[in-house]
Amino acid sequence: MSKSLRLGVASAVGEIAGVASKALGRGRGESIRGQALLAIDPQAIKKLASGRDIVLVSGTNGKTTTTANLARVLADGTDEDVSTSVYGANMRSGIAAALAAKPRNRYVVLEVDELYLPQMYDLMQPKVIVLLNLSRDQLHRTGEVRKVAQLWHDHFTRDDVTLVIDRDDPFLEYAVANAGHVLRVTFGGRRHPDAATCPNCSELLDWTAGDYQCSCGLGSKLATVRGERSLSGPARNAVLVIEAARLMGAVVPVETAAKLTANPPDRVADNIVAGRLVHTRLAKNPESWRTSLAQVSAPNVILAVNARGIDGKDTSWLWDVDYRCLQGKQVICVSERRRDVAYRISVQGIVPQVVSSFEQAVALFDDQPIDAVASYTAFQDLAAQQMGLNVRTGGRT
Amino acid sequence: MTISIVRLYHDLMGTYGDQGNAEVLIHRAKARGLDCELVEVTPHMPVPTSGDIYLIGGGEDGPQTASLRMLQKDGGLSVAIDRGASLFAVCAGFQIIGRQLPNPDGGMIEGLGLLDAITIVDESPRSVGELVIEPSQPELPVFTGFENHQGLTELGPEVRPLGKVSSGIGNGFDGLEGAWQGNIIATYMHGPALARNPELADVVLKGVVGELTPYDDDFANELARERRATLATK
Repeated sequence: MSKSLRLGVASAVGEIAGVASKALGRGRGESIRGQALLAIDPQAIKKLASGRDIVLVSGTNGKTTTTANLARVLADGTDEDVSTSVYGANMRSGIAAALAAKPRNRYVVLEVDELYLPQMYDLMQPKVIVLLNLSRDQLHRTGEVRKVAQLWHDHFTRDDVTLVIDRDDPFLEYAVANAGHVLRVTFGGRRHPDAATCPNCSELLDWTAGDYQCSCGLGSKLATVRGERSLSGPARNAVLVIEAARLMGAVVPVETAAKLTANPPDRVADNIVAGRLVHTRLAKNPESWRTSLAQVSAPNVILAVNARGIDGKDTSWLWDVDYRCLQGKQVICVSERRRDVAYRISVQGIVPQVVSSFEQAVALFDDQPIDAVASYTAFQDLAAQQMGLNVRTGGRT
Repeated sequence: MTISIVRLYHDLMGTYGDQGNAEVLIHRAKARGLDCELVEVTPHMPVPTSGDIYLIGGGEDGPQTASLRMLQKDGGLSVAIDRGASLFAVCAGFQIIGRQLPNPDGGMIEGLGLLDAITIVDESPRSVGELVIEPSQPELPVFTGFENHQGLTELGPEVRPLGKVSSGIGNGFDGLEGAWQGNIIATYMHGPALARNPELADVVLKGVVGELTPYDDDFANELARERRATLATK
């Protein structure tokens, strides 16, 4: 079979598998579609990426939203169709499926898992890589935050790509220290909760001026773009989106940033549980829990935590989050690790109820509004349930 | 009396949530009507020598080495332990209180020498997952935690383990987990360890105040019971 014919067959088989998977209620089909494609042609990613203008987006928090925003801005600013990732499918199979979906599109914007980024960089030769942030997440898989920074640092040594980074994150500054082309954006500095020491030399970072300094010189390179210090995480990412789109040749009007910071539908959902509206936010690590808790406004609150693979199997991080903003609210803990959450918040003076499901929780509340904060698979399980599916997402506990 | 709990460098050695151990100790002490104070030691602050319980958690290689250097230079922790203070050390904290540990840049470095133990790194994959141990003291129940470490720790002849591993890796030598030497307890269990094992938290408190009045915290007991039951069936 010729190379191009094999890829064509692979794409067709992948498409059939994806449609079949979706019809059977097993997610949105991208993963199985990509798996089938790669099984038939292991070189599919490289071939499908060849000759296209590609941007990769990676980091701990905000990848999915940033990828969607960048694809939209790039499409608007170039008047061309843009291929992009679907629903956070950011490993090999999801990336293969996204590339295969519309292979004639010149522009491609892909979300990439942090550990897969070096491999995808080599395979796809992107023009731009956007690095958002690095903080603690799924430590059972990544081991340590700085291991990811080290992996990137060792890999980004060429000058065939432009890396767009938030240089206020010392891990990112270290990750690109050997790279040829870097566009640094600063927001005036902010204390990073996981970076007490320098990722380069392990000495204590000096944070006294609200920004980091190190005697080894990390952080001394000047940023070329400056955003406001007061911007939220999503608003900071929107600035990176605009810079990346411009590097790709898009024309981006100045008012674009403000339009990009609305709640993304795949991270916030209004679910109907037993006839009640449950405004649910996905939060998957200490940083995103802090952000989500700050946005809880209802007097009734459900906290839902699992510890399946994608959630992070170690729940110790629950103790790194301050829950005192929930004092005075009625709080109910659900899902598989409800007892971990219940004990942690009880030590902060919040006395929760503990039940096994969202339905049971809802039945215990008065008729005032209900907010929920859910870990990755708890959020997805609830979303699946809303679609009438009875699935368990995200691997084993 | 006011129990003085000294939390060492949790900015550096708090990667895996171990700072929660301090909150658990304070919560359980206060429930018995005991006064507590929490002393946060941040980098370059002198380590007080008058504390009752010292806590140090797990951290990444760089912060681990930085913490070790500061503790060696300061000397306060060793003075406190010599005068009988208690120490509860987790993971990277366990490794630095031993006699030797791997230098991230290669070779070995001297630890604080508070515990007769040596940590090495071999070709083994990182030890990551739920850890279940049978404590050395028969009156204590099964302990559970989550381990996530690279080093393997060998105990000296005078040190007894915290327990025997029934599931997981632990110290990586002789099926043992943790260490217990006088008023020093060390473990690879995160969770935090004292949150998932309230009886272990009470062992640490008893080291300072002697006998404790009974205290049934339903939230703590339910968590401990659920983890033990879930992991027993795996």
